[in-house]
Amino acid sequence: MSAPKPSPSASGSDLHIADHQENGSSELEIISVIESLKEKVASDRCAYIKKRIEENAEKVLDVTKNLYKLSMERRNFKIICGDGGVDLLAKRQKDAIDMHNGIGTSNGDNESSSSQEDGYASSAILLGSSIAVKSAVRPINLPEVKKLPPYTTWIFLDRNQRMTEDQSVVGRRRIYYDQNGGEALICSDSEEEAVDDEEEKKEFVESEDYILRMTIKQMGFSDTTLDVLGQCLSRRSGELKARFEDHIKNNTTTSRVNNGNAEGFVNPYIDKDLDAALDSFDNLFCRRCLVFDCRLHGCSQDLSFPVDKQLQWNFPDVDKEPCGPGCHRLVLESEGLSFRQASLEEKAAPASNTASMQIQKRKQGGTPLKKKTKSCQSESASSSEVKPTNDIPMSVKSAGKSGIDKRSSKRIAENVLVAKKKRQKKMVTSDSDRRESEDNSNPPNVKCTSSRKSRRKESPLLDSDKSLQDEAASGASNESESNQPVTSSGETLKKEEFIDENMHNQDLVESKSWKPFEKALYEKGIQIFGRNSCLIARNLMSGLKSCSEIFKYMHRSENRIFSRDGDGMVLSDGCLKADGNETVGGGARRRSRFLRRKGRVRRLKYTWKSAGYQSFRKRISERKDQPCRQYSPCGCQTACGKTCPCLVNGTCCEKYCGCPKSCKNRFRGCHCAKSQCRSRQCPCFAADRECDPDVCRNCWISCGDGTLGIPPQRGDNYECRNMKLLLKQQQRVLLGRSDVSGWGAFLKNSVSKHEYLGEYTGELISHREADKRGKIYDRENSSFLFNLNDQFVLDAYRKGDKLKFANHSPDPNCYAKVIMVAGDHRVGIFAKERISAGEEIFYDYRYEADRAPAWAKKPEASGSKREDCGPSSGRAKKHT
Amino acid sequence: MARIPLGCEAVAGSLTPSKKRDYRVTNRLQEGKRPIYAVVFNFIDSRYFNAFATAGGNRVTVYQCLEGGVIAVLQSYIDEDKDESFYTVSWACNIDGTPFLVAGGLNGIIRVIDTGNEKIYKSLVGHGDSINEIRTQPLKPSLVVSASKDESVRLWNIHTGICILIFAGAGGHRNEVLSVDFHPSDIYRIASCGMDNTVKIWSMKEFWTYVEKSFTWTDLPSKFPTKYVQFPVFIASVHTNYVDCNRWIGDFMLSKSVDNELVLWEPKMKEQSPGEGTVDILQKYPVPECDIWFIKFSCDFHYKAAAVGNREGKIYVWEVQSNPPVLIARLTHAQSKSSIRLTAMSFDGSTILSCCEDGTIWRWDVVASS
Repeated sequence: MSAPKPSPSASGSDLHIADHQENGSSELEIISVIESLKEKVASDRCAYIKKRIEENAEKVLDVTKNLYKLSMERRNFKIICGDGGVDLLAKRQKDAIDMHNGIGTSNGDNESSSSQEDGYASSAILLGSSIAVKSAVRPINLPEVKKLPPYTTWIFLDRNQRMTEDQSVVGRRRIYYDQNGGEALICSDSEEEAVDDEEEKKEFVESEDYILRMTIKQMGFSDTTLDVLGQCLSRRSGELKARFEDHIKNNTTTSRVNNGNAEGFVNPYIDKDLDAALDSFDNLFCRRCLVFDCRLHGCSQDLSFPVDKQLQWNFPDVDKEPCGPGCHRLVLESEGLSFRQASLEEKAAPASNTASMQIQKRKQGGTPLKKKTKSCQSESASSSEVKPTNDIPMSVKSAGKSGIDKRSSKRIAENVLVAKKKRQKKMVTSDSDRRESEDNSNPPNVKCTSSRKSRRKESPLLDSDKSLQDEAASGASNESESNQPVTSSGETLKKEEFIDENMHNQDLVESKSWKPFEKALYEKGIQIFGRNSCLIARNLMSGLKSCSEIFKYMHRSENRIFSRDGDGMVLSDGCLKADGNETVGGGARRRSRFLRRKGRVRRLKYTWKSAGYQSFRKRISERKDQPCRQYSPCGCQTACGKTCPCLVNGTCCEKYCGCPKSCKNRFRGCHCAKSQCRSRQCPCFAADRECDPDVCRNCWISCGDGTLGIPPQRGDNYECRNMKLLLKQQQRVLLGRSDVSGWGAFLKNSVSKHEYLGEYTGELISHREADKRGKIYDRENSSFLFNLNDQFVLDAYRKGDKLKFANHSPDPNCYAKVIMVAGDHRVGIFAKERISAGEEIFYDYRYEADRAPAWAKKPEASGSKREDCGPSSGRAKKHT
Repeated sequence: MARIPLGCEAVAGSLTPSKKRDYRVTNRLQEGKRPIYAVVFNFIDSRYFNAFATAGGNRVTVYQCLEGGVIAVLQSYIDEDKDESFYTVSWACNIDGTPFLVAGGLNGIIRVIDTGNEKIYKSLVGHGDSINEIRTQPLKPSLVVSASKDESVRLWNIHTGICILIFAGAGGHRNEVLSVDFHPSDIYRIASCGMDNTVKIWSMKEFWTYVEKSFTWTDLPSKFPTKYVQFPVFIASVHTNYVDCNRWIGDFMLSKSVDNELVLWEPKMKEQSPGEGTVDILQKYPVPECDIWFIKFSCDFHYKAAAVGNREGKIYVWEVQSNPPVLIARLTHAQSKSSIRLTAMSFDGSTILSCCEDGTIWRWDVVASS
């Protein structure tokens, strides 16, 4: 860009100046410039297409040459391999050619004789030739094969799946053709809807940018230019102006960035670390199903942290034996350090754990500048002692991926970005114990925000990593002792000093050899295992660092904390800025990954014009209202009050809620033993819930043949019989041609009354979506929709299991029931009576009487007919 | 239609015939009263380059093109089910080189006919609804793909009768699949299109072991571990209505909807993100009065020209790979008034066959230019 560029900040005034200057250039002039540019763009495009087509043509030629070679080879192949058999096609061909060639010379005797010779049917007939045809081709019959009942290809699901957005039919245009040849547009509510879709795609393309840039370059930046440009490009001039300014901004920033922090941009992945890994963990791991990428509950779920379920890490008896050849004990011994010291420390660690956690917690509550983004969520996953406070609102949007202190500052820029996007609270990983000693002694510096000095004081919250870097960079000597507070564990500190002296020389080298990822892992290890380098090495960092390396690092980082000087801080701020820049790119990258996961989603408009339409849906009960309400875990940190989302929604709190077990709204489970939870006496059964061994007192079930050990016997040795959906204890269902209509589901083995047969699985779709899909399905007279609860409808059309083929009957042998299983509603199919092996399964679809399709309306009709199986009369082509 | 941004315009061909070649009707057959939906030359085996097959009603017929416009009937196959209506037929061959015909239609049953022995070789059952198109893999002609109303595309090994892969599911078509085509050189790649207005490109690279396994499978075909390919590598929304025919032209795609034109476009995939990408529409080939669906086009062996009929019985022959596109010829005949469902161009393009709604087959031959 050689044109004078108004700086982004001053563009307003520049505009005015330009206005005056450029008033002279007439519109015509501008138009001619634009036109010439347009021509250039067009000719460039033509040249490009020509080039591409020529390139492709060459390729096609190569390809077809190869194919031709293959087809020539096949001719020879046959001759070699033809083991005596007559290729009748070749023979017919030859006959035809002979006959054709023989028109003038022979009278056709040849053909008749040859056809008699081989004993096959008569030879070819010539059409359009002048020769008289004597014989006819004998048609060869293709024996009839019974065709399958119609179905749409479907995917087997063993559990329900939430609909992904790209599966939505809402707002999509679907053209439906009638058997009679007419075509109808359904699915989209109105014409505008489709139009809206298109209009959104008004992104600037390269060529438009080019014209915009070049025109302004030639004609100057003025309102007239913009107006004319707007006319020519059919855009608003304001839009163009914004675009142009964007351009300039981009250009300047890009160049600045390129000059400046080039390294950071060369490889934005360099800070790929534990946080990124944990990010995907937090986003993709379903804490209800304990699987990644849960299709049922989706990614980026709201996390609720149960208040009373956290396990505290029990330190196993610290074995005095070295954990391996690289154990710090061995190394220390060899270095002449006291063995006792290490173990002493290890003992001290858990003891001071509690106190440090609390202090730490308070510190996090106070909001240092850097921590703004993550200030609110201070609940720490590993600190069980921390009492929930009021500043942990449910709504906190993921403020912090802060995770480990170390990298938090690096990621702040990213956090800000991501925080907007994610509806998720992040686990705040507590600070490591390494700071415990001075935390204990230093009064917690709660309100330090503004000045550097105060920040320095409370710097346990600052990155130790940072300070580490600083030091490495500045080479400042370790004068931390002056700052060092008198601690209760003075002895320990002394020893640390000693170690420090020993190791200080290696520091510069070694601290660099610790990758951010390793440092992060180390921090995690400290959280989980305390200052036990053996455990950390064994469980988290095997293959990365040896125990002794971790031990050294542990002590080094402790010393770092004491050794802060002003220079370091300044530098660290500098680092922070650079890192912030760096991570912006990283953040964008990651977000785009999540966007991608959701697929291309068009913004959809929905009008209520057709919302009145209610499709045929299977139901559980005849009642019109929705008996079941969808459960979603609440995040209440204390016993649920009136504002608890669960309570408001009318659902019970479940084990996935954040509230303590004592919550009044919790479903308490049952205490059944002998009855085996099979009757309404069982509170679970009565509430249409399956028992949950986590909740019920006596419910258990044995598994396997006992060789793997027997579970602790509860409930007087009576197994629970109300966990069949959970355990997938279902009957073998066979798919076959129904005796009634189309496909049917059959039982392989006989079952007794009330036996669980299987689950009706499908896509979980919203009621709105179901209305839309229902319109399509009803036209095909085949619906697999099943009302589940107030939020969701099950659709088994494209995804489901074999039970979707079970037919309707007014006098069925089975019934369907919506059951709450571990917080989710699921549809179970149960035997209404004894059913013998091989029988077809029927249940009552319970269509709403006024909306039921014809075949479901007449119970006296000879059979139930669900799918329209009549052969569609002829092909419904679109005719003229 | 979406507004086409500046600098992304396609080059449209002019409807003025270039008179490069001229075609004349040399023969006309009436096969019956029922519409004929498919006519196809054999490009698999050079011995049979002049043989072609038709499909219509419950009948599949094999013909031979002879000199002077003469057509010889070689074989005729009739499905015992009178209600069967074949929509598509494709030449293939067994692994020993025996010429096969693979036909499918309303009933959804794929008929593999051994033309070398004049008998049915196998009937492949599996599709849940009618079959709209069958194509043969030119590099391995015992593999065929079928496009069906049941919203799936299936890959079959006709030698063993195995359904190897089903292209359907989460990322699959949302309505009938009308057309499918093998990539001419990338053996893993197919493209399909249909009534959900999209063209989807699929890769079977990750599933290739199953394809290989299908050749050596000796157990029952139903025991074969058929796999679902649920996600295409590319989804293109080039058209806004039913897409009823697509063919690879090298790495480009030639497809048509009901908008009176063929469209040549380039799928530009993003390596990092499967399923996404952009479409660059390069050229358009107008075909007037071609606004009904299930009108398919065909190319000669070297993809030099494409011939497409319209609903008034006229044929437009376009030079596919020239820039700008050139209309080679416009074929009209006073009596050809019925919709042309499919055309077939012979190996060198010198003969064009068309099959019509009224059950007729027309043969056009190039007139030697003076």
